[in-house]
Amino acid sequence: MFLASLAALASEVAESDPTDINPVVPDEIGEIFWGAIAFFGLWILMRYVLLPPLLKIRADRRNQEIADQQAASAADEQAEQVRRDYEATVAEANSEANDIIAEARAAAEHERGEIVVAAESEIALERQAALAELESQRSSAVSGLGDDVADLAVAAASKVMDASLDEPVHRSTAANYVEDAR
Amino acid sequence: MSAITNAAATVLAQADVAEQTADEAKSISAASGAGMAYGLAAIGPGIGIGYLVGQAVQAMARQPESAGQVQTTMFLGIAFTEALALIGFVVFILLKFV
Amino acid sequence: MLAALSNPVILLASEEGGGGVEFPPINLIVKWPALFGEDTFYGFNKIALISMIAMIVPTILFVIAGRNASLVPRGLQNVMEVSIDFIEKQVVMPAIGKDGMRYLPMLMAMFFFIWIGNLFEIIPTSHMPANARMANPIMLALVAWVMFIGVGVKHHGLKYFKDALFPPGVPKALYLLVTPIEFLSTFLIRPFSLAVRLFANMLAGHILLVTFSVLTITLFGAGILAIAGVLSFGMLVAFTAFEFMVAFLQAFIFSLLTAVYIGGALHPAH
Repeated sequence: MFLASLAALASEVAESDPTDINPVVPDEIGEIFWGAIAFFGLWILMRYVLLPPLLKIRADRRNQEIADQQAASAADEQAEQVRRDYEATVAEANSEANDIIAEARAAAEHERGEIVVAAESEIALERQAALAELESQRSSAVSGLGDDVADLAVAAASKVMDASLDEPVHRSTAANYVEDAR
Repeated sequence: MSAITNAAATVLAQADVAEQTADEAKSISAASGAGMAYGLAAIGPGIGIGYLVGQAVQAMARQPESAGQVQTTMFLGIAFTEALALIGFVVFILLKFV
Repeated sequence: MLAALSNPVILLASEEGGGGVEFPPINLIVKWPALFGEDTFYGFNKIALISMIAMIVPTILFVIAGRNASLVPRGLQNVMEVSIDFIEKQVVMPAIGKDGMRYLPMLMAMFFFIWIGNLFEIIPTSHMPANARMANPIMLALVAWVMFIGVGVKHHGLKYFKDALFPPGVPKALYLLVTPIEFLSTFLIRPFSLAVRLFANMLAGHILLVTFSVLTITLFGAGILAIAGVLSFGMLVAFTAFEFMVAFLQAFIFSLLTAVYIGGALHPAH
């Protein structure tokens, strides 16, 4: 029954009023006409008028970018060169400074050696002088001591001579003498 | 479907003027046919677009770096799948507004 | 003159004055009387006017952008260059490749013509996408059809048809099956689906917006039901945003598919 009604519908469609055309069908030729004019007009304008300046600017910008990139890499290269030069100069200065330092150090070492040698010889001289003085002092002291001993012996002998010759007296005399001599 | 055709039959039975009856039957069968055409045409593309977009999202989640390419391909696929549903829609319009 | 351009929904609402919901007949919302030249080949109606605007607006934009073009882009020039970049990177490069830049003007024209025509679906006081009539889509699809066949013949001669209809690497017996299918899909279904995709998308969106507009107006005039009208109005706003996206997407897909077909004709290997 459904199919039958569809068939009836189909026959109805076939003989329906031509003014009542389905909205799907592009029945208005004017719409296609003006639409085609608009679209082809826009296409031609895009091709020859609208796009070329912007595409040209884009290409220019791309070229500029490439050129700028190359300039930047060149500048990089240059900077690298300058850096290398600078480093070389610094290295040179460093080695020079090292030389100067080594020279100065050697000179200082030399001077120090001289000073040390001079000081040592002076010290040796002073020590010899001191030793000599010491020796002379000691010899003079020894000779002085000999005189003293002789005096003491003379004094002791005179004491012995003066006192009686008994034993205890000698002993006490000697003790006194030693006591005195202390 | 039989309910609709029954309704059409009822209308057929009730109407007085033969011309009017034919018009009513025509519009009712056209409306039911149109509705069915669009409803059936929407099933397949619905499933298809859902599956397609799901897979595309998965691909984009796995490889976010190729999201742009996946998106373009996804739109292409949607366009092809959607055409079926749209043809159903056009058939709907053709049937409904004779 | 005014009736030829004004919105049928508003007219309808003022005529109805609230009663039951009365959706307008489809011919009222897509067919427009001619401003001049009715029933002639140059009948100029609202669709034709929108088509002309869709040509004039990109022209003005590009002329302003290109007139003072500088190496450092600013303002409008920036926007237009972004659009060129978009077509180049999203349409030409993936679909055709480097040698596809020759087709850039056609694809740009196609994209802007369709997009601006579509945008009139949601521009207030117009609310009519130019592509919801079959005229522009079928014209553009024919252009795409002629372009990709022409490119194929120009670059491969008659071998293009041989490769397209008898794809190499298929067993001889299968040609009985493959050739009719290839002929149908390449030379008939391609332009048809191109046109129908754009047309049906825009018509469906247009009907959707009209439906919700009529519903909203009727509900607001129906006393307590105005509460439901708020919901309907929210849906209308949401669908307007959705149609804004669809307008762009359909223009993009139409140019992308045209580019894909041209690319397929240019490099039949893949």
